[in-house]
Amino acid sequence: MSGSEDLVRRLPNDIGGFAAGSVQRVEHDLLPWEKSCHALADVLDFTKIINTEEKRRGVEALGETMIGQLSYYERWIVAFANILFAKQILSPTELAMKMAEVEARHVDAGDARG
Amino acid sequence: MTHTSHIHDDGSHHDHDHPHAEISVGEKPGYYAVMETAVRELLIAKGLITANDIRHQLEVLDSRTPALGAKVVARAWVDPGFKARLLADGRAACEEFGISFYDDTQLIVLENTPAVHNLIVCTLCSCYPRPVLGLPPDWYKLKPYRARAVSEPRVVLREFGTIIPDDVEVRVSDSTSAVRYLVLPMRPAGTENLGEEQLAALVTRDAMIGVIPVTLDQEVGQ
Repeated sequence: MSGSEDLVRRLPNDIGGFAAGSVQRVEHDLLPWEKSCHALADVLDFTKIINTEEKRRGVEALGETMIGQLSYYERWIVAFANILFAKQILSPTELAMKMAEVEARHVDAGDARG
Repeated sequence: MTHTSHIHDDGSHHDHDHPHAEISVGEKPGYYAVMETAVRELLIAKGLITANDIRHQLEVLDSRTPALGAKVVARAWVDPGFKARLLADGRAACEEFGISFYDDTQLIVLENTPAVHNLIVCTLCSCYPRPVLGLPPDWYKLKPYRARAVSEPRVVLREFGTIIPDDVEVRVSDSTSAVRYLVLPMRPAGTENLGEEQLAALVTRDAMIGVIPVTLDQEVGQ
């Protein structure tokens, strides 16, 4: 196989059988936001807003570069945002504004604490 | 997860000049954490989900640990009727045992025997029997395990210190969003006099993924 057909046959998630390094038994306790992201994912699944398979495909659709550079829950939340845009539940502008507001909240809190 | 007001449900009050040991205070959240808060709050504001849904699910996540799976395994070891039901329909047997399934998944329990060793993986992502084991370890979600468990399981098992004799078949089960697996490890020899609770204490998460056996000196080995 000369190359490009592999890209067609295999989406970025589909790594079963590939060569890879040895297994390092790494683990970490989830950060609070990661745990919240997990709970959000479950709730989105229960409420049929984004099911597990849509989430998996949403991560896949991020492409290899992003998949390679973002951590596990970073991929999830970005995939959720994209899926919610595609479903027209959220708009990119709406999310950008809300993110600015959330950030400002923390800046204020930091200032208040001196 | 966001800043909470200083109102305590129990009506207690104390001096708030000192920082709480809680998360979030003062520390500026990262880009993705901000995105998570923003998405969640927008969906709540639109009435699509509720803050209570999230709180409840955080509690559910906290309630799921490998200790649940270990109890299931120990029960299967001491109760042949339960074991038969567990192997026939993992989800129904766990539910009978009092473990609720909060997701829409089926559970297939794979029995290790002197002739067959089972290993579970999710090559595509990170599907895992979360209702009975909690969240998967990082290595389960990373490329080396996902990529190689299906093509060279014996080599992967060796990396966990597990040597499977050549005459024992190794079966690898690849999970999906709808079908999850749990390994029923072999009961170690020398445990004939142990009670169900003592048996459960021997069963580790990794043994239920299938990367190590259950051994009597588990706590020493780990």
